[in-house]
Amino acid sequence: MIASEALVDRFIERATAVGVEVVRVSTDASLAAQVLARVIATGIRSVIMWEDDLLRPIVDALRSAGVAITDDPASAGAGITTADFAISETGTLVLSAGPGRPRATSLLPPLHVAVLPEDRIVGTLSDLMPHLEALPSALAFVTGPSRTADIELTPVRGAHGPVNVAVYLLPDALGRAPA
Amino acid sequence: MSTPESMPRIDFEANARAALGDAFLQRALRSAMVRFRELQAGVIAEVPQWQAFRKQAHDVKLDTLAHLDRHLDELESRIRARGGHVHRAGDGAEAGRIIEGLARGRRVVKSKSMTSEEIGLNEILRRAGCEVTETDLGEYLLQLAGETPSHIIAPVVHRSKESIAELLSAATGRRLPPEAEALTAAARVLLRERFLRAEVGITGVNFAVAETGTIVLVENEGNIRLTTTIPRVHIALMGVEKVIPRLADLAVFLTLLPRAATGQRMSSYVSLLTGPRRLGEADGPEEFHLVILDNGRRAIQADPVMCEALACIRCGACLDVCPVFERTGGHAYGSVYSGPIGAVITPLFVGLERAGDLPFASSLCGACGEVCPVKIDLPRLLLELRARVVRARGAGRAERLFVAGWSRIMRDPAALRRAGGLVRFLQRLLGRRPRWVPYPLSRWVTSRDLPPPAHAAFRQGWKP
Repeated sequence: MIASEALVDRFIERATAVGVEVVRVSTDASLAAQVLARVIATGIRSVIMWEDDLLRPIVDALRSAGVAITDDPASAGAGITTADFAISETGTLVLSAGPGRPRATSLLPPLHVAVLPEDRIVGTLSDLMPHLEALPSALAFVTGPSRTADIELTPVRGAHGPVNVAVYLLPDALGRAPA
Repeated sequence: MSTPESMPRIDFEANARAALGDAFLQRALRSAMVRFRELQAGVIAEVPQWQAFRKQAHDVKLDTLAHLDRHLDELESRIRARGGHVHRAGDGAEAGRIIEGLARGRRVVKSKSMTSEEIGLNEILRRAGCEVTETDLGEYLLQLAGETPSHIIAPVVHRSKESIAELLSAATGRRLPPEAEALTAAARVLLRERFLRAEVGITGVNFAVAETGTIVLVENEGNIRLTTTIPRVHIALMGVEKVIPRLADLAVFLTLLPRAATGQRMSSYVSLLTGPRRLGEADGPEEFHLVILDNGRRAIQADPVMCEALACIRCGACLDVCPVFERTGGHAYGSVYSGPIGAVITPLFVGLERAGDLPFASSLCGACGEVCPVKIDLPRLLLELRARVVRARGAGRAERLFVAGWSRIMRDPAALRRAGGLVRFLQRLLGRRPRWVPYPLSRWVTSRDLPPPAHAAFRQGWKP
């Protein structure tokens, strides 16, 4: 699957519209540097991460900068995951739970960082459905940060889940097949 | 239906009159509805296949309802194959007993579920010694206030931020400012602590996919994800009508629901949950229970006219365009389901004797039917229920008098001419906006304007 530039552009536009920070990176090294900078800028001391080869460069960068990698989602300042797919029409990330991929990683910490290879972006919900063959115990569609408008219709971020979501887009060459 | 026998008749007129006196409610409702309508229109216009999707969703729902047992059996067997438990409940009391048995004495976190409100689940659990916390922010505030939702999507729209600050200040023991951001943050801390020590999570269900045994939940806050991630036991409660056959159908329903409900392209979170956590997973419930509730739904399904009311996906779009709801708010409907869809399904659930007022809480303008994302012909259903009410209890004296007179006049051109002249004369006598008119017309004008008459009858200027 090769992502067309139009799909990527549309994804960036729609995800940004719902409050996601989208960053395009060109190499593993720049991915690690950018994520590290984002984490450190917020003063985060510990993160929880999915086990995924795509995240390996980030693990090393965080460790060498003294950021702890924890397995307690309730105390982590950031949760770092990959995304199995993304939907450009809606700016949505699709995350499957599994061993080494807890649900809480993208949910409890105030910052959710997601690494997304561009070739995992599909056009619409209908385009996504054929890819969902064997469903995991939990598949989460994430579109922007947690939000509510229950108090006098004032939009507020971070009702229960992440206040901020940052997506790092990897070019096709760096992405491997979804887990 | 297992509604308590003590439930009184819903007096919409009296409830509406009370709501009309509440200036804050009027203002808040109006701005909420205008806002929702604007957002909805923007994202609906982006979908060129919107009308085709509405039709498709309608057809999928009605076709599924026609073969309900087959789809429910498939759903049940798929969930069992994944290690989940499935319970069938004939009525609310039975569903209550099942859930009570699973949750007795435990700490329970709940996400918003209209079906759980329909069966009075919180009260059942409280009596069973559970600590029950509603975790949707709006629902949590209602729980603190001891109130029911006034709008399906904006449940606490009837309360000001000042009154919410008082509720949350009392709950946290700190003086909180009347600002949405600070109040939401305070509730987040309070509720996060409840999540982390919860033993049972209870949710509703937006869709249940038969072919995969998957339940689908749609939300913005993340409280549903927490409810289905942290506690050891997850109990999901669904009405039988929530089942859809195929995963592919979800693409249509998930395109329709967020756009029609909150005017979002997609809600922040959609969860597709297939059985309990699996081997090697660090979180998610170890036990998954699905409770499938009938509570009068099969009887509605068997009704050839009213059956399509079960296609409702609880988006609230019909509330947002209803001129009656706009003025009265949800509480006037005396039931968890309000607005046009509430005026249809509440009488079907609790009977026309108790809720026979509701189908009349409509101007029959037709807006609800036009916006419904699953194309339920709400005006037709409202009319049908009105006919049933009149058939059952007979028309009132005023109505009979009026209709008898009307039918006599309309059959005789000379009588119509004389009547028209008489009406114009009387209205001139009474003034442009009469404060008093004679019975039976007085019943009509208590809640409506009596428009001033034309200077001349249409017939006088019309040459065939």
